[in-house]
Amino acid sequence: MKWYENNAEHADIVLSTRVRLARNLKDYPFPSRLNEAGKNKVNAVVRDALLTGKRAKTFDYVEMRTLSHTQCVSLAEKHLISPEFASDSEGRALILSKDEDVSIMLCEEDHVRVQVIYPGLSLEAAYETANELDEALSRKVEIAFDPRLGYLTQCPTNLGTGLRASVMLHLPALSRSGAMQRLANTVAKLGLILRGAYGEGSKPVGDIYQLSNQVTLGISEQAAIKNLESIANQIIAQEKSAREALLKDDVFIDRIWRAWGILQSAHMLSCAEFMELGSLVRIGAAEGVLDIPVQTLTRLLVETQPATLNCAQGRSCTPAERDVLRARAVKEALR
Amino acid sequence: MLCQNCNQKEATTHIKRVVNGEAEEHHLCSECAKKLGYDHFLDDFSLSIPNFFSSFFHDTMPALKGAGAEHCGTCGSSFEDIVRSGMVGCADCYDKFFDRLLPSIQRIHGRARHAGKTPHYTVEPDEKGADKVAEAPKAQTAEQQIAALEAEMQKAIESQNFEQAAVLRDKIKELKGDDRK
Ligand SMILES: [Zn+2]
Ligand SMILES: [Zn+2]
Repeated sequence: MKWYENNAEHADIVLSTRVRLARNLKDYPFPSRLNEAGKNKVNAVVRDALLTGKRAKTFDYVEMRTLSHTQCVSLAEKHLISPEFASDSEGRALILSKDEDVSIMLCEEDHVRVQVIYPGLSLEAAYETANELDEALSRKVEIAFDPRLGYLTQCPTNLGTGLRASVMLHLPALSRSGAMQRLANTVAKLGLILRGAYGEGSKPVGDIYQLSNQVTLGISEQAAIKNLESIANQIIAQEKSAREALLKDDVFIDRIWRAWGILQSAHMLSCAEFMELGSLVRIGAAEGVLDIPVQTLTRLLVETQPATLNCAQGRSCTPAERDVLRARAVKEALR
Repeated sequence: MLCQNCNQKEATTHIKRVVNGEAEEHHLCSECAKKLGYDHFLDDFSLSIPNFFSSFFHDTMPALKGAGAEHCGTCGSSFEDIVRSGMVGCADCYDKFFDRLLPSIQRIHGRARHAGKTPHYTVEPDEKGADKVAEAPKAQTAEQQIAALEAEMQKAIESQNFEQAAVLRDKIKELKGDDRK
């Protein structure tokens, strides 16, 4: 089962949890100083170290140059790889679990970027899975490490644990209350970042935000995870109480039902319109106004992104064709 | 290149992100980057800012431009290469240029010291290339072995197989040492 098809803890507010570890092999220059042959060699070393025993059956090894541009962008839309990784395939490879919950980017900014994505709020479990892979790798391959600076990374911003953890939150009530900027400033003082997950930096769409840790040096993995988890729980509690007030408002309930009506009957839906109406239907589903499972909305959010729609069609579509396909997919899912 | 937002200042921040199914690249000045919400030293999952560190270097350390052409023995990077690209060349660069990198590292991380886990590398002898190399040329004389190993090392370096090259270099050293006895 893929992460976006699963139900999980706090799924009414938390879409997903991601944990990423950045690692480099001690004996090779970092990716920006490697040519294609050097990168291929690094990829093979990591592949051979990791894909043994059971993992050989549950993971696929994919050379990025064998994928089409659309397939690459679709992987980025599913958050399985970074946009940067999707934009250039030379000398890059991906180790992907069949469930698409573990993705290991090879020769992105660092030699190895292990990423685990789980549904709902699941930080400790996601870290544990990432850590297991890191342990398996570091027993077989010497990892670039310095006792003072921790894991050595190509960009010094990731020094230390090389750990980036994040949770994706649906915060329609808090963003309607105008509290987001204040909240972002508060969590920044605690070493975390809260920003829109979709849309331009200043204008997030779909009320979906990403909360992640910023500090990697001078803090243990456990402390970073705990810190993020406790702030996430506080934001969840705030969103819950803001939702209570919002759901007493008949005007808002009316908007949820109208959004539901449009999503069920529209012949064309742009990505932006779906994001906006989907946010209303999601809160309706989460709070029992509408009788649909909330993960239906998560699945739609992933499957109706432009390149993922193209991929499902096996070809590149015009924006208008995509809007028709999107509306059809939404209609079917909400039936 | 000028900032694509204000068209006035030099673009120092390069952002790649997925918009409408296409990977787009944006070049922004530091002020516009901040205004548009890209003001963190963050390469999270939804966007990456590979050159942020570079712009940050230029902002804070202009005096270092004439620092000379000392190179890292492992990857060949000079400190200027690192400043220009915003990328450290290899693990040994951190050693070689530690004093010069430290001020910037501290600007990002403070005076912190690593507090997380440590890797545990356990050598598994039957899996190491070194032992396979050592076994094969047993019947040869020491000179033949060294010549073969040196050729192999050269090949390894050419194909950027540095791990293998390091193993071979140690092997050659060992053989040459034995000869002198
Ligand atoms: Zn500008
Ligand atoms: Zn170096």
